[in-house]
Amino acid sequence: MSLAAEAFVSQIAAAEPWPEKATLYQPLKEDQILLSDSASSLAVQTFLRMCGLPVQVSCCANAEYMSPSGKVPFIHVGNQVVSELGPIVQFIKAKGHSLSDGLDDVQRAEMKAYMELVNNMLLTAELYIQWCDDYTATEISRPRYSSPYSWPLNHILAYQKQWEVQRKMNAIGWSGKSLEQVYEDVSQCCQALSQRLGTQPYFFNKQPTELDALVFGHLFTILTTQLTNDELAEKVKSYTNLLSFCHRIEHTYFKEHDRESQSGSPHHYKGSLP
Amino acid sequence: MEKPYRLMGQASTDFWNPLRRALGTLPALKTREEGSISQPSKIIIHLRKQKYNADYDLSAKEGADTLAFVSLLEEKLLPALIYTLWIDSKNYVDVTRCWYAENISFPLNFLLPNRMHCQQLEKLRLMRGDPVLEPGEQLEKELCRDAFECMTLLSQRLGSQKFFFGDSPSSLDAYVFAHLAPLLKIKLPNGKLQQHLNSLNNLQQYCTNILALYFPSDARETPGRKIHAQPDSSDLDNEPHKRRNQILSVLFAVGAMLGYAILTGIVTIKRERPQLKNSGHDDGDEEDED
Repeated sequence: MSLAAEAFVSQIAAAEPWPEKATLYQPLKEDQILLSDSASSLAVQTFLRMCGLPVQVSCCANAEYMSPSGKVPFIHVGNQVVSELGPIVQFIKAKGHSLSDGLDDVQRAEMKAYMELVNNMLLTAELYIQWCDDYTATEISRPRYSSPYSWPLNHILAYQKQWEVQRKMNAIGWSGKSLEQVYEDVSQCCQALSQRLGTQPYFFNKQPTELDALVFGHLFTILTTQLTNDELAEKVKSYTNLLSFCHRIEHTYFKEHDRESQSGSPHHYKGSLP
Repeated sequence: MEKPYRLMGQASTDFWNPLRRALGTLPALKTREEGSISQPSKIIIHLRKQKYNADYDLSAKEGADTLAFVSLLEEKLLPALIYTLWIDSKNYVDVTRCWYAENISFPLNFLLPNRMHCQQLEKLRLMRGDPVLEPGEQLEKELCRDAFECMTLLSQRLGSQKFFFGDSPSSLDAYVFAHLAPLLKIKLPNGKLQQHLNSLNNLQQYCTNILALYFPSDARETPGRKIHAQPDSSDLDNEPHKRRNQILSVLFAVGAMLGYAILTGIVTIKRERPQLKNSGHDDGDEEDED
């Protein structure tokens, strides 16, 4: 969105209250969605629940193409469409709901920095494992990504996506890394998050913020997703305070919904948290 | 990239080696044991193995904060820096390209800057996830907005401290300084990022402080000024054989042109034989006639 359009949208957003029929779009949950998209989608859903804003989750095969920025998830609120957690947080702030108002300047700086840490390390590692590890790409990513499409479109789209992600990894200097180094980076990131969290219930003590939603989205998805091996989940499991953090948020914000209903259930491939 | 090395009391620079630039392997650290190491993270790991560690005194939380703020820099400030130095047309043409072309030898000075410009544009496109990204006012505004926010956040985190984690520097200080110092020192025609940095007094003071402490000889020069300076004795110091090369090349050119002119007959030389030889010849002729 251009800056002028964004300012205009913010003004309109501020004028209207949150509608009942707000919808969140993501790829198909059972067959199509991949680890990184699932994590981003769960982060947004968690954030909306933390703000107490109801939203319906709608799964579409072409969600990625409908999104204004090409990334999922995106929300459709009234007559506005906003994608990705950052812009969604700004959009909801314009409507008068914010989780980080109580933070002082230093804490806000730290919150933004840690959110970038998750985006820079965890999300990039997820993308790397999905698309740059040949075994995972062949067994899981390409078949899932292209499952709604018929031959030959499924092959073309899957390879195109893989090539695009590999070029991005090359540009940011990750293509020279081995899988072990990527797992090591994930471990380092989890260690940083664990040290920042300490023994507190949330990252900024008693109140959850968008950082908590983002971290929960990624960690929960990693823990409950079946990949070709369990090494990624094991890295996260070794930090007990992060595990109890995930349990706490799942318990507080997701338990009251029916586990079978699509809108409430946060887990995808495996069962619930270990 | 010199920064961490300087912090730990050593320094090495090989910035203008064009072959290394062309192969994309700068910054590079040459070591006796492991040869050449070229990525910043690997260089820092090597230094730590040699027991040079600027983060030794940091607590666990501060170490975590370091990772987080480095990520913030890379996601929010670095794209804007790349745009300002390499993509913005005025800055690239007036400053960056001239600067690189002047310091790289023939013939790479014609090829490398443009190649690097294309590489940086491609990198920006991939980082933003938009394959058809074009430089323009729209993109500049979005990148500047993110960069201003990042600089403001850094300023808020720094507060009135001397370094980010107290009184001694750490690797976070090296990263932040490395990203901000070019903005402070290079005189760019289109300097929106510079203006914002100048409005954040504590960051400006912080950079000047580090520059004075660890780069005292460079603190007086700025690359922007060097580009606009008239050729003077400092140029001759940089290239001691410059005058000799100039004279030799002029002589060579004149000699080549003269030789071509004579061989093709454009210029002919009439020789007048001296008198003695003429009378000798006449005698010879007379004798022959006889």
